[in-house]
Amino acid sequence: MYSAQITRANPTCIVLLIDQSGSMSDPFSGDSSRKKADFVAEVVNHTLHDLVIRCTKTEEVRNYYYISVIGYGRNVSTCFSAELGARQMVPISQVADYPLQVKSSYKRVSDGAGGWVEIPVRYPVWIHPAADGKTPMCDALRKVKDILEHWLKDHPHGFPPTVLHLTDGESSDGDPDEIGQQIMSLGTDDGAVLLFNCHISSRRAGKIEYPTEEASLPDGFARSLFQISSRLPPNFLSAAAQLGVNVVEGSRGFVFNGDPSSIVQFYEIGTSLTGMTPYRWMDDDRRTELA
Amino acid sequence: MSSAQQTATWELQTRQLLLPKLDHEVAECEDFIAEDAETCRFAVTDGATEAFDARNWARRLAQNWVQTHTALTAEDFREWVANEGRELHDSWNSLNLSWYSEEKARTGSFAALVGVELDFKTYSPSWKAIALGDSCLLYCRNGSLLKSLPLSRPENFNSAPVLVASDASMHETSMTSVVIDSGNCNNGDVLLLLSDAMACWFLERFEKGDLDPNELLKTKEDHELKRLFDDERLAGRMRNDDLAVLRIELISGE
Repeated sequence: MYSAQITRANPTCIVLLIDQSGSMSDPFSGDSSRKKADFVAEVVNHTLHDLVIRCTKTEEVRNYYYISVIGYGRNVSTCFSAELGARQMVPISQVADYPLQVKSSYKRVSDGAGGWVEIPVRYPVWIHPAADGKTPMCDALRKVKDILEHWLKDHPHGFPPTVLHLTDGESSDGDPDEIGQQIMSLGTDDGAVLLFNCHISSRRAGKIEYPTEEASLPDGFARSLFQISSRLPPNFLSAAAQLGVNVVEGSRGFVFNGDPSSIVQFYEIGTSLTGMTPYRWMDDDRRTELA
Repeated sequence: MSSAQQTATWELQTRQLLLPKLDHEVAECEDFIAEDAETCRFAVTDGATEAFDARNWARRLAQNWVQTHTALTAEDFREWVANEGRELHDSWNSLNLSWYSEEKARTGSFAALVGVELDFKTYSPSWKAIALGDSCLLYCRNGSLLKSLPLSRPENFNSAPVLVASDASMHETSMTSVVIDSGNCNNGDVLLLLSDAMACWFLERFEKGDLDPNELLKTKEDHELKRLFDDERLAGRMRNDDLAVLRIELISGE
């Protein structure tokens, strides 16, 4: 299970599901200058950048992945716009070709001889921060289920789809347990759909990362998200371990009261798929600063 | 493809087999095999699938390494790779790249390399090998595996080996993983230079002792080997990867 080779003939899909409710405009982790929505948009753009780069073969992007980015708040809809806006699921080659803009900057890197050099880097942007409305989590999960059912009809044998869900609060349209369980019951020959949840908090509350048991969780909301979080398959456990994250067999793909550093790791682990070495786009210095 | 090279008293019988991943074209294969009769050098390289221009990097490493006369030391190897890497990066300057190709190119290219040099000029013929990555030399004598390098067990193969980087700024750390080894040659010895999936499969066969891989490569026709390795990959007993095999049998004329 979770060992199917991801190829152009046998691609997989990744759904990034993002809470864009009004509370996402609150400051993040005690930092009044930074909104949660800003940080999440930055991480999602970096994640898409990473996925494109992974599929880049010299001058071509190979369609190993199909991507969906769904936001929920005032409504539930794709976060892609412009050329990508009309479709729920986009091949990675088109994600590569149609960012909204590509920012340029410089990055300081080691020159390998004890010094530093500044090299040009590109920061493509596909999604902008958004924060408006309530938290229609159940509606959003229903949309994801619909997208996955269509995908699975055409791809019954590939590496199972991965859903990375990020939220900062409780559902405003009911208990997500039932629809979450329905999503987790879908799958391919190679395993069930992987649904991972990351809850983030405005407060510097004690974070809980990749727990194995719900008894350790503080309240019913946390337990309900735990219940709809898949166990991390071995490949993902290995990627998490490479990032220095404390996981064990049975750890769920679930973070509660996550801080900025948790979000970065959540996306890195969640997109490691077949166990590839996670792409560390954020410098260690900045991780330490965020932790 | 088979060929024979003759030294004063030794004949080298070589055989190559190169297969792309299942459902891939030969032109997409990122494994390379090279041999040079003059230097008596042989190499197998394997471009990292995720790297930029990996096919060109792997080809450059294989073809140029067998033709060079640089000494087989870690220092000389590092200097030689740095030069090759510079030339590869220079070749990208004229390209008009998209943002993603530019980003990918920034990290350079990567490939595994295993090379061996045979020396029959001395009274006691010998071999010397260099390797970085997970392409391997399996040295066989009388049907048994005498040595395997740089990896020796099937469980050593993972998806993140240290490879030959085209960007010299990575050499400080990566070149510490270079493996160099040497030994004497006997009549009938067989050297197998193999890219990773094939090396892993061969090591498993040797451990299980359920067939003689040497005989397999010696006696089967190319189309039979292709069918066998396709079946093994389809069945999941061998990773679906590009496959490179270079078999060298040493035959003494004395």
